[in-house]
Amino acid sequence: MNNIIQKINQTFTLKAKQKNENQLRVDVDKNLVSSVLLYLKTQLGFIHLNHISCVDWIEDNEFELVYIVWDPENKITVLVHTRIDRSNPVMENIDTIWDQANTYEREMREMFGIEFPGLVGAKEFILEDWQEIPPMRKDFDTAAYAEKTYQKRPGRENARDVREELMKRTGEELPDFAKKYSRD
Amino acid sequence: MTKNPNTKIKTIGIPSEEEIRQAQIDFSPRCSSAGRVNDKETQKMVRYILDFARKHSLFVLAYGTGCGAIEIPATMTSRYDAERFGIRGAATPRQADVLLITGYLSTKTLKRVIRVYEQMQDPKYVIAFGSCTINGGMYFDSYNTINALDRYLPVDVYIAGCMPRPESVIKGFVKLQELIQNGNAGNGECYRKNLDWYRENQQKVIKNWNFPDEYNW
Repeated sequence: MNNIIQKINQTFTLKAKQKNENQLRVDVDKNLVSSVLLYLKTQLGFIHLNHISCVDWIEDNEFELVYIVWDPENKITVLVHTRIDRSNPVMENIDTIWDQANTYEREMREMFGIEFPGLVGAKEFILEDWQEIPPMRKDFDTAAYAEKTYQKRPGRENARDVREELMKRTGEELPDFAKKYSRD
Repeated sequence: MTKNPNTKIKTIGIPSEEEIRQAQIDFSPRCSSAGRVNDKETQKMVRYILDFARKHSLFVLAYGTGCGAIEIPATMTSRYDAERFGIRGAATPRQADVLLITGYLSTKTLKRVIRVYEQMQDPKYVIAFGSCTINGGMYFDSYNTINALDRYLPVDVYIAGCMPRPESVIKGFVKLQELIQNGNAGNGECYRKNLDWYRENQQKVIKNWNFPDEYNW
């Protein structure tokens, strides 16, 4: 573990931190990501890309991308964090390193609106005929959109407790033990 | 060999209008009531027999839309054995009687479900399965799932629960059989009559009715 931290730090002048007994975290500049990932894959044996996840930091006007890679021999995970600009989100395409990155990149393109130059199959992926802003961005108001688009059944407009709704309809008294579970 | 005097001697040539009419009546008995018993008692009896036969052979389209489909194998196999009630799977929508909507419907799936429903032949029944089809369930504020199914398709029976156990599923089917026997089930006509209303609701959700190229063969 310490050996890996040392190697990463020396090669790229980074500060890798140990998070758990088998987890490392590296914060990397946007331009350096593909080099770090290629180094991890070819030199240190992190041959498997688990996942690429994305976090929307709307206050900082940034997206955070997390590349999770895994070494099956030593059972170590490395989380490569990077931040990109939110108003013009463009990230390097890494499907030359791992083919399966394509799926995650297509999903991020659709759900967050991040562009990957040279992405294969850069068309709609899971959603169909989506006309709003990408739905996983934090400034997309899911509840308001759902209320506008999908009609609620009368009587269940808000998520009030069913017991109270029934009580109102039937005129029955709600027993004391049930009151503490009600949401209002 | 003596000829039957009742048999008409047929001439070869262009048939007369009368012959064509008679042939049509003979060929398609439903088009005409000529020469048939048509009093109310007989109709009632025929209706009863038809409904009895229908309710004991419910072919369910093998199409799982949401997570609820996981209960269907359990319902169909030996422990709960839905085939006791005449419930069994059908491979294509044109062979099926029952469309079972198992769980949440995303708008993408709804488009396919409407297409499947419109392919099915009368009499057709819809069973909405799970609380997602009733009021959205746990996906009530999702951006991509519908809330109330009966705005988009007519529904015969709802099965509540998240998810309903095989007993409830069978209870729902038994309820459907009851409705069929009473003549209250079957919603194809209702759908056709109120097509404008259903289309209006469907178009609020489905923006583009074209299917991707791989669907249009």
